[in-house]
Amino acid sequence: MIELFDVTKRFGDETAVDGITLRIEKGELCVLVGTSGCGKSTTLRMVNRLIEHDGGEIHLDGQPVRSFDEVTLRRRIGYVIQSTGLFPHWTVARNIGLVPRLLKWPRARVRERVEELMRLLGLPVAEFADKYPRQLSGGQAQRVGVARALAADPDILLMDEPFGALDPITRETLQHELRELQARLHKTIVFVTHDMDEALSLADRLVVMHQGRIVQQGGPIELLHDPANAFVESLLGGMDRGLKEAALIKVGERMLPLGPRLLASERIAYGASLSQALSVMLWHQVDRLTVVDEEDIPIGELSLRRLLGARAS
Amino acid sequence: MAEGRPPPNWVLLSLMLGAAAAWLTLDAVSVAANRIVPGTPHSALDVMNGWPALLLAVPMLAVAFLAWRPHDKGLRLSLAAVVALLTLLPLWLSAATSVLVTSDMPQARVAIGASLWLLLFLLLLALIELRTRLGLSRATAWLLLIPVVAGWWVALSLWLEPLALLREYQARSDQFIGALGTHLMLVGAAVAASLILAVLLVLAMRRHAGVRRVGFGVLNFLQTIPSLALFGLLLAPLAWLGARFDWLASIGVGGIGWAPAFLALLGYSLLPMVRNIHVALEEVDPAVIESAHGMGMSRRQVFLQVRLPLALPVVLEGLRITTVQAIGLTAVAALIGAGGLGTFIFQGLGQAAMDMVLLGALPIIALALLADALFGSLSECLRPGGAA
Repeated sequence: MIELFDVTKRFGDETAVDGITLRIEKGELCVLVGTSGCGKSTTLRMVNRLIEHDGGEIHLDGQPVRSFDEVTLRRRIGYVIQSTGLFPHWTVARNIGLVPRLLKWPRARVRERVEELMRLLGLPVAEFADKYPRQLSGGQAQRVGVARALAADPDILLMDEPFGALDPITRETLQHELRELQARLHKTIVFVTHDMDEALSLADRLVVMHQGRIVQQGGPIELLHDPANAFVESLLGGMDRGLKEAALIKVGERMLPLGPRLLASERIAYGASLSQALSVMLWHQVDRLTVVDEEDIPIGELSLRRLLGARAS
Repeated sequence: MAEGRPPPNWVLLSLMLGAAAAWLTLDAVSVAANRIVPGTPHSALDVMNGWPALLLAVPMLAVAFLAWRPHDKGLRLSLAAVVALLTLLPLWLSAATSVLVTSDMPQARVAIGASLWLLLFLLLLALIELRTRLGLSRATAWLLLIPVVAGWWVALSLWLEPLALLREYQARSDQFIGALGTHLMLVGAAVAASLILAVLLVLAMRRHAGVRRVGFGVLNFLQTIPSLALFGLLLAPLAWLGARFDWLASIGVGGIGWAPAFLALLGYSLLPMVRNIHVALEEVDPAVIESAHGMGMSRRQVFLQVRLPLALPVVLEGLRITTVQAIGLTAVAALIGAGGLGTFIFQGLGQAAMDMVLLGALPIIALALLADALFGSLSECLRPGGAA
């Protein structure tokens, strides 16, 4: 659990973070979102004391961060940044094993842990362990970055625009993997991004920041339905909000069991989103889709009326 | 350009045509009966009716021909030809010596002439060009030089006794070893001292911006003083020190000798060293440093395990530049009685004995090249898979 009480940070005359109060529950994925310079990265870095806060207090599990030695504190917190910050002169395996080695784990245990993490993040050990960072693609390098942050099994993970420099396809893959990873590991994650789609798809809770203050916070659907002001509304995409919400709802949640009618000719996976279903309908000019499971076996159907009706609930 | 018809390699082509032309027209050697009389020049075509010279010209023209349509196989053949030429030249020189020096000339001296020097120079350039084109590693390039060095060594030790350069060496071999030692000592001491000083200075500069401004200002100023002027400037204070303190005089501190030479060399070495170390440490990717801190490395660990190893190749680059520069500058130090290989250069100039000048100059060039190659490969080794 991370708590910020009236936290302030000034750089010279400029107030970067202006009296933020925020509570991030254990196991929650909290996304700080906002335009550049809104103070979201500064807020993140104050948690692991890469930046010291000027006013207020930051608590970790009830204890002020200043009560910890900063080096000890950081070894307990995973940290992932956009440019990965991998050490170019170390191999992948050595990079991942950094924090366990700093914590003086026995050699065998470090190796075991590194291999476990490489498997967890889909990096075959034989292929990648001895590679150097510059031999990796952007997506692979960021996987290594995440593995390194998770190495000593910290409770808290701070991620500063970790997927910002990746191409859209790789970014989506990694977002998906992060969701699955989080479903298994239940870390407390603070995730900074300026990409609203990324924020909506990942967040348990969204914290919208503007000019060093929190403008609004809440669940993705909550924010979409009830933006606090015009700024949040425009950040959420204005007229596109309907589609963004539809992107958060799975077809499986809205489908009806197969009826007596003939199967509709166009199909959609039950794990796809409502926005994808709508797109298929628009494209084929139909108002009914057959919902299929992973093995392409029909398990239900989705009508346009049903798709639209989903919004009301 | 149609595929399979690469454009001519003009560099190689002109190098080899130039080499062949020089070889067949200019004087290759000159023979004098003793050290005093001027020598009689001979062109390569004068030796044994010119047949060996013409034979050697064949591979040169062949390489030029291959360079017109360079392809990988042709380049490899050219490389073999150039190495063979470099290896055969000392043998030709031996043959020429045995023909031109008759038994009634016991004091005869054979001096290497313009065409042979030019040929050596152009062939070495061709070797560098071929190495780059073929993308050979440093190690391979060294292996290629083995037959060349072996050829020269055999010829020098068996047949080239009348070579003027060798005679100059034999007349003062003890002095030569001594001078070489002094030269290396001066360079080594100046570079080592400047490395230590530079590290301390850079550490101070990284702490205080004021030290950085003043430090770079002073070093830049030092660099602009001509070397002889700096020796002159050091003369008075060091002479005073030597006269004032006996123990300083007893270890050789005075207006002339090793002390001013060492101090001047140190001054000149400091700027490239400080600049490179400073830049090397500052240029390390800030994201890497940030993540190192973020992972929970202590300041010391960040410096020793991340910043320093990433900076090392650039630091070595500075060490390379400084060493090569110091090897050259030390030659001038001979003028103020510091010794070293420069002694031969200035003595030779005084006696109008070009071979003696060469006895000083050639080892200086060789040392510089050697230092360059040594630090170059060291810095390559320390650039592991990543840091490029």
